[in-house]
Formats: sequence, C-alpha cells, structure tokens
Amino acid sequence: MKRRNRIYLIGSVLVLLALLVGGCVAPAPGAAPAAATAPAAEAPAKEGGFVLGVSNTLVGNAWREQMICSIKAQARASGLVDRLVIANRNAGPTEQIADLENLISQGVDAIILNPSDRDALNAVLEAAIAQGIVVVAVDQAVSAEGAYVVTNDQTAYARIGAEWLFETLGGKGKVVEMRGIDGVPADTDRHNGFLEALAKYPDIQVVAETFTNWDPSTGAQQALDLITTIEIDGIWTSGIDYTVVEQFQAANVPFVPIVGADNNGFVKQLIELKDQGLIGAAVTNPPAIGAVGTAIALDALTGKNPERVTLLTPKLFDNINNLEELKAIYAPDEQPGWSTYVDIEPYTLYNGSADVSACKGPGE
Amino acid sequence: MAFSVAIRNPALRILFRNSWALGVWLLLGALLLWYSTLIPVFGPFQITSITKNSLPLVYLAIGQAIIVISGGIDLSLGALLLLSNVIAARFMAGQPLPTVVLVALGIIAGLALLNALVGFIITLSGVPDIVVTLATGYIWSGLALWILPSPGGGTAPEMRWLFTGSPSGVGGSYWPPLLMLLIPGALVAIWSRTTRVGLSLYAVGSNKTAAQLAGLDVRRAKIVAYGIGGAMAGLAGLAMVALTGTGDPRFAIGANATLNSVAAVVLGGVALTGGVGNVFGVVATGVTLIMLNPILIAMRVDSNNAQVIQGVLIAGVMMFGGLVAFLRERRS
Repeated sequence: MKRRNRIYLIGSVLVLLALLVGGCVAPAPGAAPAAATAPAAEAPAKEGGFVLGVSNTLVGNAWREQMICSIKAQARASGLVDRLVIANRNAGPTEQIADLENLISQGVDAIILNPSDRDALNAVLEAAIAQGIVVVAVDQAVSAEGAYVVTNDQTAYARIGAEWLFETLGGKGKVVEMRGIDGVPADTDRHNGFLEALAKYPDIQVVAETFTNWDPSTGAQQALDLITTIEIDGIWTSGIDYTVVEQFQAANVPFVPIVGADNNGFVKQLIELKDQGLIGAAVTNPPAIGAVGTAIALDALTGKNPERVTLLTPKLFDNINNLEELKAIYAPDEQPGWSTYVDIEPYTLYNGSADVSACKGPGE
Repeated sequence: MAFSVAIRNPALRILFRNSWALGVWLLLGALLLWYSTLIPVFGPFQITSITKNSLPLVYLAIGQAIIVISGGIDLSLGALLLLSNVIAARFMAGQPLPTVVLVALGIIAGLALLNALVGFIITLSGVPDIVVTLATGYIWSGLALWILPSPGGGTAPEMRWLFTGSPSGVGGSYWPPLLMLLIPGALVAIWSRTTRVGLSLYAVGSNKTAAQLAGLDVRRAKIVAYGIGGAMAGLAGLAMVALTGTGDPRFAIGANATLNSVAAVVLGGVALTGGVGNVFGVVATGVTLIMLNPILIAMRVDSNNAQVIQGVLIAGVMMFGGLVAFLRERRS
C-alpha cells in the first residue's frame, strides 16, 4: 500500500507541475501556433503581415524603454506588422545569442536589436541573414556582413552643442565639461567631438571635467560643488541637464549658458526659465532610433532597398532662435527624463510623444 | 498488489529512488514538446540552440549539486566561471590547436585545485561555506577583471565546434553539444553513486558526525566536492567562450550564473541541507531554466512578468518538494 501511495503521490506531483506551468502561461493571448507558420524565406514576396523580432539587453533604463516603445508605436502605425516578438532582459552577449536564436526559431521576418557587443553576435546575425531575415542594429553598430546599422552620431552630438556654447560665449571664457561614463564608446565619441569644437576656439578654457555616470543625482552634486566654488561662464553636459539647472536655483547663483539633451525636464526649463535669464540648447539623442530601425526593416522587407548605414545627425534647439520648436516638442504629460524629440523625419509614422508613451504594439 | 511485486525488481527500485530526477526529465520532455508547438519549425537548429546555450548553466549546476550534496554551498562558482572564461579568451586567441587544448586542460585542472584549496580552508577554519565562498567569489571576480579588463579575446574554431557543433558557434550539428551536455552529467552522477568517495559525499552531507564516527574521511569528502565544483566551473567558462567567441569579465554574469546554479540544484531535487539528490536530475533542470525564456517569449509574456513567473515556478516546485518529504516522513 505504501508503495502504491508513493506512485500516486509522484504522479500527482507531476500533474500539478504540469498544471502550474500551464496555468502560469496559459492566460497569454494570441499565441496560437497558426499565427507563426509563414516561413521567413518568402519575405520579399509579402506586402505586409510581417512578424518583427526585437532584442534588447538592458532593462530598467528609461532611454531603452522608450526605444522599445518607439518600435512598438512605429510597427503599429505602419500597418504592415502583424505582431512583435520581444526578447528583453538584462544580459550579455551569451544570452543575446540565445535570444536571437529564439527569434529565428519564432520565424520572424526581421530582427531589430540593440547589440551588447560589436563582434560577438556576428555568427548568429549572419545565420539569420542567410535565411532571408532582415537584421537591423540600432543605437550601436555590429560588424556582421549584410546587417543594417542605424545609429545616432555621438561625435556630432557633442561638437554641435559645444560649438553653440562657445559661440554663445563669444569665443572666450571658462567652461565645464560634464561627461557620461568613462570608457563607454558613446562617451569617448562625445569627448572627441567636444575636443574638435574646442580646437576651433583657442580662448575657451576648460576649467573642470567630471563624469556624471549619466546619473541625475551625481551630476547635480558635482554641479553644486562647481558653481559654488569656482567661476564658470558655461556648462556642457552629456545629457545630465535638468538637475544641473536646478542647482543654480537652489544655490541662488545666476544662470550661465548650458547645453543639455532633449530631456523633457530640461526643455521645460528652457521654456519657463528664459525670462529669469536661462540660456541653453537641447541637442537630440533620440531613443526613437528604434522606430527609425523599424522603418528601415520594413523598407527592406517591402523591397525599397534602404541604405545599409544610417547615421542620424543630432538637431540643436536653443531657447533664443528655436523657442517655438522647443514648445512643440515639450511633452507636459511625461517624466523629466523623457526624450522629447520622437518624430524623426522622414521615418516615423506615429503621432508624437503620446503615441510612443502609450507603448502599444500591433494588436495590443 | 502488482505494484508491491514490481518494487522487488532492482531496476524499478532504482527508478523509484530517483523519482524526482525522473520527474524533472519528464517535465523537460513535456516542455520541449510544448515549445515545438509554439514555433513554426522544430528541427536540428532548435535542438542545437537549446543544448549549446544550456551548457554553461548545466555544468555549473552539476558542480553546485555535488557541493550541496556534500553539505556545503559555493557562492563563488559563477566567479570561477568568469575566471575560466577570461583566461581562456585571453590565452587561446590566435593560438594553434595544441596550445588551446593545453590551456583548456590547464584551466580545468587549475580551477579544480584552486577550489579544492578553498574546500580545504573551509574544513580547516570551520568558517561556514557560505562566508568563505562569498569572499573568494569577490576575489575571483576581481582577478577576472585584472586578466581581461574589457570584453575581448578569442578561441579556436575547434573549441567552438566541441561545445556548439559549428566552428562559428551557430547552426551546427547537435551531436557535439548534446554529448557534451549528457556525458559530464552522467559521469559525475555515476561516480557519486557507485564509488566509495562519491558515496562518502552523501554520508557526510546527511550527517557529518555519523559519517565521522563510521570512519569516513570527512575532510577529504569536502575537498573532493569543491574540487569537482571548480572543474565544472572551468568547463562552464570554456563553454561560454565557445558560445560567444569572446571573453567577458563583467561581474553580473558571474553573479547571475551562481544564482541560476542554485535554482537548478534546488529544482533538481538536491536538498540544500545536504545528503539527498541525484546529479543527473540537475542536468534536466538546467536545460529547463534555459527553456523557460524562449517559451515565455513565444507566449508574448512581458519580460518583467517572465521573471516573476520564473520565481513563482521555483517556489512552487520547492513547496511540492517539501510536501512530498513531509508526507513521506509522516508515513514512516
């Protein structure tokens, strides 16, 4: 009898396990296997109804979340996409290779990825391309043969902003360079762009260089220390901007010209604090690069032969000449860290920050 | 009646003694079957993909299982994986095959000795395993960064073929990764259940004092267990360099790997109190943990929810395990 009980027990544990697994995932809708039966190789003949795969390996980061939402919004607005398969987790190249293989297994027509490594993913990306899958790397480049690459021009990002600052200062004065994370490619590129601009203005003196680690509170502390201890004529930031402006208010120090990114909080300050003497410029570094990548993937799928490499040149909006543009991109309903520049001509099809913020993909 | 007759059969008795391991293999089979219905094509590409991507976790879980069975726990295994990964990537890049093989063997032997030394220190000092290995884990992670400050390096195509079935790491034959998945697990499982030293791990893990009184060498058992754990972590690091073709010293990779190895061990029916469990079951749960991710992606579950589901699953299985043990105890 004991033995028999044990068999029943083992059996029931197995059944319960199966129920547990089934119960946990059964509520997810739209997973009918029939939806994914179209083989990727037929892609060029198709007019729509595409399945797009997305791979991202940094979760909990506002910029990346907005990037994914822009992909969803663009896919929905295009009307060409049936569904998105999104592999999104904190991971390195090992896991991203597994995720990309899973996307291939899902039978996707195109893969949009933010790569965790320039070279380590090449074998799997080239295997996907060999099967007729369109591969688009956004934000950072990959070296895989046949992949489309869509990136923001980080060197130009710093050069354009720094040139505006030096010009605004009349080519003369003491400035601070507030960088991002030491050693990260984007930070190195931006520093090079900053130096390019600096070379053209011999009377500009860099009195301090800090690394904010792209952390708003770290940048705020550094700014407070700087503006209360040394004489500064202008500040260039690598996108940690609105908390720096707040320090001027907190310390009751007169504003100096400042360069930041298209962060919603900074755009708001540029508009509202202009009367109190704030002069500044917002340089775009759009996470909507994901939407641009989606547009390029769809162009490739529908036989429009887009360019292999797309480099988005940043735009600069200052509150002297471009106040109306700043007011147009300002998104009152979003967080201070929201990147306001979401409509990128001629690629994006959705309608402004509200569509991206809704974060709804096709069929959601 | 039929059942009580059947149980006298020795083969069946072994089956029942390993019922949990059998259960997790059946569960893995069911998951694979289910996954195959979720995707358009289930063929060699998918089998290769799942087996090769499971290798690092499975190796680490086997090592962790042996250590847990002997009554310990090793929080440094993920860091040892990092160490193996960066040494391999740094010293195999651009080298001829004989050098690469030597480096591989050197890593496995070296990490086995290194971790055996840690086991020795634990037995000698009497400091709890969890404290010592937490400390050594930080040391190994730091050392990994020192050897390879940023991602880079490489390995030989033959090395990649061995673990992935293809010189480029993608889309190869599934036989090499499948054999590399099953053979180490089977060897360690058989060794732990048939040899004198292997069985002494179970004895020491379930009751150290009793094992000592019975004349078993408790210290040797622990040192051997940690040595095997180090060797398996070395193998896991080699598998990882074969998967990506580069080394990666980032701390988070090691920390994640350690946590996943403990999850696989727990799901595999190895009691954290020591002395109970079958190493071969852990092979199945290692693959299962890797399988969960593609299945949840295929079900369009949001990544944040996917992590919650993974946690709920582990907690659920643990509670059933506890229930089984409780009912068994009450009956006897």
